[in-house]
Amino acid sequence: MTRYLLSRTAQALLVLLGAYTIAYLILYLLPGDPLAILLNAAGRDIDALSPAEIAEARRFYGLDGTPLERYFELLWNALHGDFGFSASKNAPVAQLILERLPQTLALGGLAVAFSIVEGVGFGYLAASVRSPVLARFLARLPAFGVSLPSFWLGLLLIHLFAFTLGWLPAAGNDGFRSLILPAFTLSLYSAAIYAQLLIRGLEAASREPFIVTAYAKGLTRGEVQFRHAFRNAALPIVTLVGLQIGNTFSGAVLIETVFTRTGVGRLAEEAVLRQDIPVVLAVVTLSAAGFVFINLLVDLLYPILDPRIDHASKG
Amino acid sequence: MKVLRRCFIRMFRRRAASATIVALSALTFVAASREQASGAGSRATTLRIAFNADNPLLTSLDPFQVYWIEHRVVLRNVVESLTDQDPATGKIIPWLAESWETGADGASYLFKLREGVTFSNGEPLDAEAVKTAFDADKAFLATSPGAFGAAFLEGYDHAEVIDPHRIRIVLSKPNAGFLQATSTTTLAILAPESYKRSAKERSLGAIIGTGPFVLASYTPDVGLELVRRKGYGWASHAVDNGGEAYLDRIEVRYVPEASVRNGQFTLGETDILWPRDPFSEADIRVFKGKGAAIASRSLPGPAYNLYPNVAAGRPLADPGLRKALQKSIDRTSYARTVYSDDFPVVQGVLDATTPYFKSEKEKLAYDPEGAARLLEAAGWTLGKDRYRYKNGKRLSLLYVLWTKETAGDLLLQDQLRKVGIELKLSFLVPGEMITALSAGKYDLVALYLTRGDPIALQSVLDPRFAPTGSRAAARNVFPPEIGPAAEKLFDAGLVATRGDDRARAYGELQDLLIDNNLAFPLFERVWQTALTGKVSGFAWTAEGFATLSSVRRTP
Repeated sequence: MTRYLLSRTAQALLVLLGAYTIAYLILYLLPGDPLAILLNAAGRDIDALSPAEIAEARRFYGLDGTPLERYFELLWNALHGDFGFSASKNAPVAQLILERLPQTLALGGLAVAFSIVEGVGFGYLAASVRSPVLARFLARLPAFGVSLPSFWLGLLLIHLFAFTLGWLPAAGNDGFRSLILPAFTLSLYSAAIYAQLLIRGLEAASREPFIVTAYAKGLTRGEVQFRHAFRNAALPIVTLVGLQIGNTFSGAVLIETVFTRTGVGRLAEEAVLRQDIPVVLAVVTLSAAGFVFINLLVDLLYPILDPRIDHASKG
Repeated sequence: MKVLRRCFIRMFRRRAASATIVALSALTFVAASREQASGAGSRATTLRIAFNADNPLLTSLDPFQVYWIEHRVVLRNVVESLTDQDPATGKIIPWLAESWETGADGASYLFKLREGVTFSNGEPLDAEAVKTAFDADKAFLATSPGAFGAAFLEGYDHAEVIDPHRIRIVLSKPNAGFLQATSTTTLAILAPESYKRSAKERSLGAIIGTGPFVLASYTPDVGLELVRRKGYGWASHAVDNGGEAYLDRIEVRYVPEASVRNGQFTLGETDILWPRDPFSEADIRVFKGKGAAIASRSLPGPAYNLYPNVAAGRPLADPGLRKALQKSIDRTSYARTVYSDDFPVVQGVLDATTPYFKSEKEKLAYDPEGAARLLEAAGWTLGKDRYRYKNGKRLSLLYVLWTKETAGDLLLQDQLRKVGIELKLSFLVPGEMITALSAGKYDLVALYLTRGDPIALQSVLDPRFAPTGSRAAARNVFPPEIGPAAEKLFDAGLVATRGDDRARAYGELQDLLIDNNLAFPLFERVWQTALTGKVSGFAWTAEGFATLSSVRRTP
């Protein structure tokens, strides 16, 4: 098990390094002079500077040296928690992210919780109904949830719950109440996918021989469904939750704008728009790290959830 | 759907939060309780303003660096200037300086300061403080030559303190716009303490002024809070209420999503709705239905103009094509369609509220037939696809846009299609825009600046003065044969000390831009706010900002 853990962690680090490298390549080697962009964000014009000043500015922003040297320097700094300085935000990138991260973590966390409750709840319900017509109808419904654009859904929910019913605030970062609508909006896509997966899983499980055995033992329909079919069908959802967490955080980019929240998603969106390279690089690295960590956690959870899976034997 | 909805509603009503939800959301409770602790107190006299998103490019409240007009509205109520500009006449009137004399050469100004004025930290406003402010701005400019305040401080050399209440500002060369500059937020006088802090700290809110409100907090992208300054009493004559503000607090929120912003307003969660773009006819109808009033003012400075890239090899280097383009734009239907029936139709290069504005209405008449004739004569013939071609090449113009298009951009595209010109919209993020402008890879770009003096034209179009970002575009506006003449007019406007001379110089400059079709006005930059029925006393300043000390809000 230790060996598996070590190899899996090494893999995770490799993925992280890959994500960082690709982000660096895309951002720094894009056409256009990163120095001109950085200077512009700081309110200066590269054309107005003398060659000596340009060289000085290049050193100041860490843009001197070859791209490879810069890459290693940035990586070294990032490993020490120094993600550079955002010229247009007038703040160190690490500070910006630390300020914004709690908002996005709360939103993402609640959205994941919502999506599990909604997705599993709905999937379970849909597989439990006896009427074949209703069951088919319910089984088709998640496809609708997958195809709803989240910004549109967000605006719709704002109109219903904030402007028409007045139950929840439409926007802002003011506490738990302001988190419910954005988290729900963000959760629906993942929830629909979990529901689809669970409905299919339960359907497949219901044809398995052990289900027949369970019925033969005299268990009720509810008991068979929950104890035998559900436990088997739910396992793939765990994998998917790990993957969906990544989507949830990228979805935060849209949701945070619609709901006027200040999180990492909006920080990333604005940083991309003004080509604030240090911020984009830090956000990409951070989300990649989160993604890798969650998926590592999911992998390690498997043997606990399903004793038949044993990582040690593979290693 | 009904079942689903009932399901959701029930879910929320019960607040059916599972243990997991509670655990995961513990983080937000911390943030929440902190938010709710503040602000509960004096609801009755708190005014809530909703603006569009905060400046995405530059986080700064430092008056000397700020170009973002929403920030300038706020600053106008926190920091004050030597002079004020009368919103009705555009004349410069006393404020922190009760009188002044202009030197015979137009290169020095002797200001006599009003006595008894203090900054909100208790420091007195005296000649030393004014000198500190001007010198600090000059020092900042030395480190950051592209800063917004550069054009306002143009020519400032040094200040001589004559006695505690008299100061002479000496310019190294005449600058006719300087007196107006002393009335702007850009050259506002901050307390000496503010200049002991770094420019970065000032950007993040270390702003101490003499105004009727004090900046209590600023959270970039979220909002800011102003509180009433006790003992205030030195407003300029342009302001109705000369004493302390009627409001206790002002809460400003940045709300990027228009429908959310509008919804909050109609629900009464916002008292003043103040987006960047004018309202649509439909919005106005909804707001008025809720008892709201709409206040409008054209922002002084250039109108919303498109400027051509006339560099050799680009299609708009051809004067005939520029003329045809000018004739192809239907400005009346632009104002009516995109905005509303009573929206003013743009009449010239400048907005009508700018001093020395000259109407060029006749020259900007819509004349699609005339445009077609010009194009026909120049050899651009209509192809099967209704676009014009010459030597097998389609007549196509590249219009670079900041991030996204508006309804107006699409309408313009449609208007040009009618005469056979293809307008390609190219959406660029700010970083790409800088690259595109410096490389000259565009045909049309929109630039503007808000300032209550025609000198604003120089800041936009004169490459010697244009700020960072638009300098490259300014270089591409004038063909080599017209550039020197334009430069001469810019200089004449800058050094003229008599009103008549300025009127002549800027009148000729406006003519030059329209006669040579080097500016394509699209619409008057009208700023609109919607005010709930509870708000009264709202008044615009000359530069299209607002004095909030006269505003009252009934509970």
